[in-house]
Amino acid sequence: MYGLNLVVVLPLVAVAGVLVWRRANTLTWLLFSLIGLWAFFKFGFIVPIPQSVATIYLGITGLALVCYASSSRERLAETVQPIVRLIVEPRYRLALAGLLIALPALAAYNVYADLTAPLEAPGFGREIHPPPPTELTVHDETLDMATADNPYLHYHEDDPEAYEQHLENGRRIYYENCFWCHGDGMGGDGMFAHGLNPVPSNFNDVGTLPILQSSYVHWRIAKGAPGLPAGGTPWDSAMPAWEKFLTTEEMWDVNLFIYDFNGYQPRALGQH
Amino acid sequence: MTACIRKGIAAAFAALLVAPAAAQVDLGTEEQRAAGKVVYDKYCGQCHGDAGDGYGYATPRVQPKPRDFTTGKYKFRTTPNGMLPSDDDLRRIIEIGAPYTSMPGWPNLTSTEIQNVIYYIKSFSPDFENPDRYGEPIDIPRPLESTAESIARGRVVYEEQGCAACHGDVGRGDGPSAPTLVDDAGDHIRAADLTQRWTYRGGPTKEDIYRTFSTGLNGTPMPSYADSLEVEDRQHLVNYVYSLGEADDPNYGTLITAAWTEEAIDLQDTEALDTLFETAPMTRFPLIGQITEPGRNFYPSATSIEAQAVYNRGEIAFRVRWNDLRADNTGRNNPSLEVPMWDEDNDIVATGDEGDDGGFFGVEEAPADDAGFFGVEEVEPQDDASFFGVETVDDSADDFFGTGDDFFGAGEAASDGAEFSDAVALQFPASLAPEDTPQLKPYFLLGDAQNPVDLWFVNLTYGVADTFRGRGSEAIEPTEADIVEAVTSYDQGEWTVTFKRRRASRAGVSFAEQQYTPIAFSVWDGFNRERGNKRALSSWFYVYTEPSVQQTATIPMLRAALIVLAIELLIVFLVRRRARQGTAEESAGGLTGTEAPAV
Repeated sequence: MYGLNLVVVLPLVAVAGVLVWRRANTLTWLLFSLIGLWAFFKFGFIVPIPQSVATIYLGITGLALVCYASSSRERLAETVQPIVRLIVEPRYRLALAGLLIALPALAAYNVYADLTAPLEAPGFGREIHPPPPTELTVHDETLDMATADNPYLHYHEDDPEAYEQHLENGRRIYYENCFWCHGDGMGGDGMFAHGLNPVPSNFNDVGTLPILQSSYVHWRIAKGAPGLPAGGTPWDSAMPAWEKFLTTEEMWDVNLFIYDFNGYQPRALGQH
Repeated sequence: MTACIRKGIAAAFAALLVAPAAAQVDLGTEEQRAAGKVVYDKYCGQCHGDAGDGYGYATPRVQPKPRDFTTGKYKFRTTPNGMLPSDDDLRRIIEIGAPYTSMPGWPNLTSTEIQNVIYYIKSFSPDFENPDRYGEPIDIPRPLESTAESIARGRVVYEEQGCAACHGDVGRGDGPSAPTLVDDAGDHIRAADLTQRWTYRGGPTKEDIYRTFSTGLNGTPMPSYADSLEVEDRQHLVNYVYSLGEADDPNYGTLITAAWTEEAIDLQDTEALDTLFETAPMTRFPLIGQITEPGRNFYPSATSIEAQAVYNRGEIAFRVRWNDLRADNTGRNNPSLEVPMWDEDNDIVATGDEGDDGGFFGVEEAPADDAGFFGVEEVEPQDDASFFGVETVDDSADDFFGTGDDFFGAGEAASDGAEFSDAVALQFPASLAPEDTPQLKPYFLLGDAQNPVDLWFVNLTYGVADTFRGRGSEAIEPTEADIVEAVTSYDQGEWTVTFKRRRASRAGVSFAEQQYTPIAFSVWDGFNRERGNKRALSSWFYVYTEPSVQQTATIPMLRAALIVLAIELLIVFLVRRRARQGTAEESAGGLTGTEAPAV
């Protein structure tokens, strides 16, 4: 359900239920919130969320919990009292000794796990859809990116036959050139995709074609990786600058085809 | 009454006799085929052809070629050799695809859509209407336990049956006949590399392997051994073939860890060198065709490369290995050889089948001829080109050939492999990224104007390393700033190339300890006419030089534990002192509650 790992999430909810039922004190709630959220972020999702994101969430939650605990004198006392009792009262001596040993051991283990973790190649963030230029010059023709649209899109309404021809030409272009990376079904999973980093765009994804204007897609097709700004790591992307291989018409045709194949409309002009 | 029963029984028997064949001829309803056509036209026709003849838009640029459905010949079947596949066989390939070919799996299609497509595909060949062409699926027994005896017996069968003629003595797909293999359509076809199970088109499991040599691959040189081998021998053969590969999965990595050694790295001392590399971690990297710049390689021969590295005080050495069906070590090659546009479409015909048209313009005969024909030559000052003569670089020549796709089509023979040689290159950035932009790298395709790359290149005709500096595909120049040495060997289908250079470089990248250095690979297969930008390549990966002194975790662990313990003790001390003060004040001033000290 929504990518949640129920084996982890349900027990957490159950523990929360028990805490409500037993009227747990503030400190218990605080500890449960921290540990529970840590477990939730780390194991609660079927597709793991990035460690850095989890750390930020956990940091914010931790800060919020501290604010909550110290928001009134009573609450602070209620939180601190059990800790003070644990430290001061002789009958908790054994528990205190255990805690004094367990925490350093945990810290040592953490260091050990860090040092012995298998090495990984350094990874860097990357803008998926970096901002386009305001103007685009392809084959000596300059377009205003804000207003340009696929010149053959209107055939859809006023000349279905011409539209079909452009689509078929786009289909030819796609399967002569694009499917090795973007895939037969346009899932970004072509036969060469496993050798590429970044991975090719997935055109089935609702987060790709529908949120882009067709002029943006035209820019990506015509200029490829070398036309990306630095934020898009142009040195890693294998997307060719198709203006080297294709005519302007062919590029608009394949643009038309990938939208049509996936049943998407380009984002309308001026729509934000 | 009895007669009636007898009649009934007879009818039932008759039905039993007829039923299997009759049940198999299932061509679906007209609606089902029509529904299948819709799916087919959207997802299949671009490769298999809208008419099912295996000739779609992509066909000239893929290999193996898409199935021609009009022939009724199918490779992956559970049915006996020469028979039609069952619906389940067709369904299986549609669902999971054929690895390392242009046929993907179609997990998004529903079961009904797949069934409809199967009905439509069957309508392309009249064979499916003929009950005689159907066969019962074979029994696939449970695999035998993979004991040493079973594997040894499998090896004997492998030798007796002549498997090595195509698949090679240790299974790398490098048998003496491998370069000559063609399918029924006359297209070159590769013998499977049995050491890389993940590339098996029919699947990597023991059941898949058993099925393949029990039913054969129709339309290819791979026969069925159902008649010549007992079931048990086939099972032993399965165990042997399976033992040739290490894993079902390539386990591609992203990082080479260069191992530290105190020893000298001597490329001439083969034995010592092998010992050095024996313990160095090995990483397998995926290779794909270069299809970004002109000179595109839609069907590269090599699909992966294994790499290792070791380094000592002064030097670093890299060892790379990849499988190649034949050592092409007589031709020419270098990273900047021009590839005319017509040579992008990959229609190779194997040896002995050279068409006349191939030689018509003298393109394939001698390397010098094409240039001579047009009277254009540009002799490069430094490399093999000057040795062998010439290469065409004139645009008019390219344009001329550009229209000649069909004309040359199948005539391009690999012939004796004399024209282009196998080659390999390592690529590094010419300098490391500045600290404030650690993600910055040169363009992975031979660098760019601002950020050049260095290539360590070995043309396997010569077996020595040349160095090039790349500022993009059109700007590759030889450099002599650093001396790179190399040794090469070809053994039973596997190239091994070991490079060595001083760690410090004045013009290029230096390899400091504990440094991540970007690295990329290129492999050229001369047999596949790969040269220049027509190559197999990788994206950027990294090599990491492990610390020369291996740190134990003990000291950092102790440090962390002690710091935490100190903080704990401090807290305990402070809290207790405060509590004591509180109690003292309480007895003195009559205040109540532990809250008091917080004031």
